This record gives sequence, C-alpha cells and structure tokens, in this order.
Amino acid sequence: MENRQNFLRRMMAVRGMGQVLTVTVGLIVLCIVFGILNPTFASSKNIGNLLRQIAPIILIGIGQSYVLITGNIDLSIGSVVGMSCMISATLMTKGLNPWAAVLVTIFCCLLVGVVNGQLVAKCKLPPFIATLGTMTIARGIAQIVNNNYNTDSIGDAAKGFRDFFYYGKTLGLYNTIWISIILWLIFNFLLSKTRTGRHIYAIGSNVEAAKLSGVGIVGTTTKAYIVSAFCASVVGLIICATSGMGTMDAGNMYEMYAVAASVIGGVSTLGGQGILLGTVIGAAIWGVLQNGLQFAGAPVAIRNIVIGIIVVVSVLLDVVVRTGKPRKAKKG
Amino acid sequence: MGEYIVEVSGVSKGFPGVLALDNVNFNLKAGEVLALLGENGAGKSTLMKILSGIYEKDSGTIKVFGEEVHDMSPKKAQELGVAIIHQELNMCSHLTVAENIFLGREKTKSGILSDKEMEKQAKGILDKLNMDISPDTVVGDLAVSKQQMVEIAKALSTNAKILIMDEPTSALTSKEIDDLFRIIRQLKSEGCAIVYISHRLEELQHIVDRVTILRDGQYITSMDFGDTNLEEIIANMVGREIKEKFPRISCKKGKKIFEVKNLNAGKMVRDVSFELYEGEIVGIAGLMGAGRTETTRAIFGVDAKESGEIILDGKPITINKPMDAIRAGIVLAPEDRKKDGLCTKLSIRENIALPNLDIICDKLGIVNRKKEKVMTQKAVSDLRIKTPNTEINAGSLSGGNQQKVVVGKWLARNSRVVIFDEPTRGIDVAAKVEIYNLMNELKRQGIGVLFVSSEMPEVMGISDKIIVMCDGKVTGEMITEEATQDAILKYATSFEKKVAAEA
Repeated sequence: MENRQNFLRRMMAVRGMGQVLTVTVGLIVLCIVFGILNPTFASSKNIGNLLRQIAPIILIGIGQSYVLITGNIDLSIGSVVGMSCMISATLMTKGLNPWAAVLVTIFCCLLVGVVNGQLVAKCKLPPFIATLGTMTIARGIAQIVNNNYNTDSIGDAAKGFRDFFYYGKTLGLYNTIWISIILWLIFNFLLSKTRTGRHIYAIGSNVEAAKLSGVGIVGTTTKAYIVSAFCASVVGLIICATSGMGTMDAGNMYEMYAVAASVIGGVSTLGGQGILLGTVIGAAIWGVLQNGLQFAGAPVAIRNIVIGIIVVVSVLLDVVVRTGKPRKAKKG
Repeated sequence: MGEYIVEVSGVSKGFPGVLALDNVNFNLKAGEVLALLGENGAGKSTLMKILSGIYEKDSGTIKVFGEEVHDMSPKKAQELGVAIIHQELNMCSHLTVAENIFLGREKTKSGILSDKEMEKQAKGILDKLNMDISPDTVVGDLAVSKQQMVEIAKALSTNAKILIMDEPTSALTSKEIDDLFRIIRQLKSEGCAIVYISHRLEELQHIVDRVTILRDGQYITSMDFGDTNLEEIIANMVGREIKEKFPRISCKKGKKIFEVKNLNAGKMVRDVSFELYEGEIVGIAGLMGAGRTETTRAIFGVDAKESGEIILDGKPITINKPMDAIRAGIVLAPEDRKKDGLCTKLSIRENIALPNLDIICDKLGIVNRKKEKVMTQKAVSDLRIKTPNTEINAGSLSGGNQQKVVVGKWLARNSRVVIFDEPTRGIDVAAKVEIYNLMNELKRQGIGVLFVSSEMPEVMGISDKIIVMCDGKVTGEMITEEATQDAILKYATSFEKKVAAEA
C-alpha cells in the first residue's frame, strides 16, 4: 500500500503529469461514450484494430513532440512518410533485398531531418516556412522515385518485411504495436534521461539562456528534427508493409495528425513543455475519435472537422495558459 | 589582495551609431569587491559583456590571470573562471532549479543524466547560500527574487574566480540582500574577485573595497572606497559640463491641462502623481528601471492600471486602452521607434494615416486618398521631414526623421498632451535639435509635453519642470532653474533603504 502511494507521488512529481492525467480522463470518457453508443466498439477485435491504427500516430507524434518541445514545428513529416513509403517500395520492386531497402530508405529520410535542422537553427528560417519547403520537396521526391506512378506490388520476397512491420504478431500483439512501444520507450528515455533531451527542453524554454549556458543550439535542434524524420520514415515503412505497394500520397495530412497528438497530449507549441506520455494519450484520443465516429456513422469530413476543432482548442488553451502568466517586467 | 587578475586596457567597442566604450581601462584584484559605477549608457554592462565573452571587443587587450586572451567567448570565459549574473533574468522557466544550475554542464553517468547527484550538489550550493529553495522546484513557479538567487547560485556553481554581478539586488528583498552580501563577503574571503554593478549607491558601503567609474564610454577614475565619499563618486559619475546647446523658448505658464493622481500600475508605478500646465515641458528623469516607461504606458492605456485618476482639462477621464487615450487627445511616441512606434515596412503616408483612419475614411470605410494626401503633406512640411516623397518606407528614413513621422501621425489629430519616451535615443545631434524644436513648438501651441529621457543634460536643457523617479515612485520634483545634476542623481538613487546600516 505504501509502495503504491510512493509510486503515485513519484509519478505526480513528473512535470506535465497533471495535464496528461486530465487528458487521460477525457480519453476514458470518450471510450465510455463510444462503448455505450456502439457495443462492438469495445470488442477485442476492434480494440486490436484500434491499437494498430493508433501506433503510427504515436510514432509521428513522438517526432513532432521532439520538435515542438524545442519551440519549432515540423510540417515535412507527412511528406517524409510518403517518401519513405515510395523509396522502400520502389527499391523492393527493383529487386533489392527488403532489409537493405529499409536501411537506404531510413538514411534518405534522415537527410530531410538534417536539412530541416540546419535551415531552422543555422540559417534561422522560420520553422513553419523551412519545413513547408522541405514538405513540398519531400513530396516531390516521393513522386519522382517511380516516375510519378504508384509502384507495383512489392511481391513475395518482401513477406518477411510485411510481417515485421504490420501483419505479424508477437506475444499476441501486432508487431506494429510493438514497434511503437519499443521506439516510444527509447525516445522517452532519450528525452527524459539524457543531456540532449535536457537541452531540447532548455532551447524550447529560453533559447538565449540555453545559449549563454553553453548549449549547442544548432546541433540539438537538428537532432530533434532527425528524430522527427526517423519516426516518419518508420511510419512510411509500416504503410508500405500494410498495402504491399508504394503510394505517392501516403502520409498525406500526417503532419497535422502529429501536431494533433502532441498538442492534445499537452505538448506546448510554444516550446519547453510536454512529455511523450501525453503524446501517446493524444494519439489515442485521435484514434478513438476516428474509430468511434466511424462506428457512429460519421463521414470522414465530420471526423476531420471534429479533430480540427479539438486541435485548435488545445492550442488555444495552451496559449491562454502560457500568456496569462505575468510577463517579464519591461525596463524604463 | 595584490596582483591584478584582470587587466583590461584600451578596449573600445562601437555599436551602430554609438561608441559604447572608448579606450577603457579596467583592473581587478583577487579577493576584492569592485563597484563599477556610471550613469545609464556609461558602458558598464558593455564592458562586462566583453569580459564575459558575450560581445567581441573592437580593439584593446584583455589579460586574465596574466595571460592575454584573444578570442573570448562565453565558454572560454567560463573555463577561465569568469561568471556573470545578468541584469535580465536568463533562466529556462520550465526547468527545475537544479536543471538550470547545471544547464550546459549536466552530470551524466554512462550517458544518463544523474539527476539525483545534480540535485544534491544544487542543494549544497543553495544551502551554502542560505537559500530556502528546493532544487526540484520549477523555476517559473518561483518569485522573481528567488529566480535571481538561483541565477547567483548558478554562477557560483561554476567555481568562478571572477564573478560579475550586474544589478543583482534590483529584484531582491532586504533579507535576501543581506544574504547576498554575506555570500559576497564569504566569496571575497575565499579569494574570489567580484565586480559589482549597482545604481544603489547606499549599498556600496557594506561590501565594496574599490570603485571604478565610467562616463559616456570612457574610463574616468578608480578609487579606494575608503578614501572617497558618495559626493565625490556622484560628482565623478556626472562630472560633465553641459556642452550641447539646447534651444529654449519661454512661454507663459497657462492653465493646468493634465494631471495624474496617485497612479498605481504593477510594481514599477507606485503612487505616481504630477501636473502638467500649458506652455510647459515636463521632463521625467531617472535611471534604467525606475518605472518611467511603465508610467507612460499606464497613462496611455497599454498596461492595466490598478488605481489612480487621470484628469484632462479639469475633467477626470477613463483610459482602459490606447484608443481611449487617443480619443481624449493624449498620445504617446514610444521608446522603441522601430518596434512600437512605426510600421517600418509601410510608407510614410500609410504610417501617418494609420491612427487617423477614422478621420480620413468616408462612411463606408473607404480611405479618402485626397484627405490622406493633404494630411501627410501637411505633416511632412510642418515637421520638415526630410524625404523625397511620402511613398518611401518609414524604415528607410534616418532616426530623427523616423521620430518625426511618429510624432507626425499624432499631430494630425488635435492632441492635448504628447508624451515622448526617449525621443532622441540613437539619433544624431542635428536631428536631436530638430526634435527639441518640435517639442518647443508644441509647447508654444499650448500642448502639454511630457518627456522621458535618460540623458540628464537633455532633461535639464529642454524641460521647464523635472520629475525624478526611482523604483516606481516619484522621488523628486523641481523647477529646472533650480535643478543640478547632482541633485537629480541623488533623487534618482534614493531607493528605500533595504539594508539596515551596520554598526
């Protein structure tokens, strides 16, 4: 009993946990509402599907959270997903070993992250504009790798690849879910327990103070963008494994979903604040809304509108809470 | 005490438009507390920023521990044992106290942050400083004074040999100042050299061994504190004859136009009262952070007021937002022209028209180009704004002409009171004179002129009445003819005694 209390106290001591718990309550309420509206919502089959739907959103949400915590934003995520999907599928249809294709794909995607980081931190472009540019470029690359066509089937040689990323199960859970659990554990560790993670928070909180304390701004920001690109490339591979082919518009709107998962989960768009557990809850809310509204018979358009409203409200709450605090005194 | 551990000689540093440091010398011995003194803009902070590697010097030499340092950077300064506590708080408000103290120097064990270890060490430093702050508190949740103490703890945690404190006490309570002084004495006894910058001259006697005085970017003198007194220090800080010529016109003092009664707004505006008469220019003097800008902002309705009365032409008026002030005829030419005063990417015409669109638009809200043009032409010719035409970007004008555009946009309305905040900052002498003439012209027209300036000669040269502020309060008011620079500086540094005099 005492152990349990200690654990609770320790958990509440983690910064941002309060907000995450609030959002979790929202998630539970949503689940109950949808469960009552439609009993099949809570069926084990649907829950399995739901988790598999949420897994990629968690991944891109992790990447976006890294970047948001530095006080920047990454709009290129969706296009990097498409790029990853197309590059891997094209290489496989050309007969390259699927695992070699995976490595080449991830490498290409990481380059986008490096470019983003340099443009934002070194060239000091507004992150919105810089990543809007790389978003367009990455989508163009996705289109050009197979001469502006979706690829053919990646074939039987890629069965191992498809099982690894999507169809296979380990210990009763789909591999996709395992991938996002494991990557979440790794990136959560890096963000909360390492020097780079600490610097990511510091930059987002007060870039000037971080600089004067000897924190490398360019390097750290670039690392955050690289994490973002890496997560997007994994999601691209998952999509490729799912459909067994490369589609040029894979990952369309995903940058939006990533922002949604992050901000609903309490990651501040103004930087310096948020934890990856929140991103998981945010992604879950996104998934439950999509899935539940679908069950309730709402068309895609309605789902988009609902999620859009929730994102705007989340950001609004964040901005109001943040700017409501007393500002630094001006001099005179 | 003996050897100089810091020797700065002949250092100059220029910023666009000003020479902030001109061939300055500065020395520091181990185990001493040196007060670096001077008026606003004397170059104290600039000199210290060069010493701590934040700015690069243009010329001169810096020797630390006898060795010349060529490429000073914040990192290099830290390695040499130079730590600076900045005037503005520089903390990551989302991180904890311990995280801030160790930012950039985190302790890790095989790549993993040793938070426990860092918190323990932070606790050690905080305990040593007698600070009742838990190392796992988020800095943003602390009061400003506590944040300041954390900043001090951070600087000390680097094991600094040379510690620079830029106005460390401005946000502290008296007990905390006592603690700080205790810490300073302790560090001194451990051989640490401390540079102490403060406007609060009465604090000096508690800790200071030596003073170095700068004035207008130049080295004036260094003295042992025991051999001097406050009068001599103030005389050296001010020490200049008023050389510049100020155009002055005399007008008959008319009726009272404007009155502020017991205005309170935040920490920096406490119980401010003053009056403004027709045909009179009132100058507000004071040091940085005295609350002058805050006062103008509160009057103009930019910042919220807590209490107080504003009376215009005998009638009390309510100002909750700038539009209320403008409608009533009170206008503000703000301190930072480029940031607050002008839309630098819009033309002169658009800038002048902006606050007057209600006058020049027809009922449908369409801008009447003819009226707009007439208004702009009048402003340009009345104020003698030097420009080929009214379509060029306001940002491309010289500083003085920009200032005239700021004023011009207000004069198109029939304003009753014009408030200038640092109207001549960063503009050349000839343009300054034009601004003075402009103020005089307003005065002649019976418009009340209130102006804030950090340059004492200017305040004394142009205003008819001087109000001195310090720490958010009006500490002195005098007729210009009776004012002296020493008196103004005395009022400007008359902080409430926070430190009980020692026996």
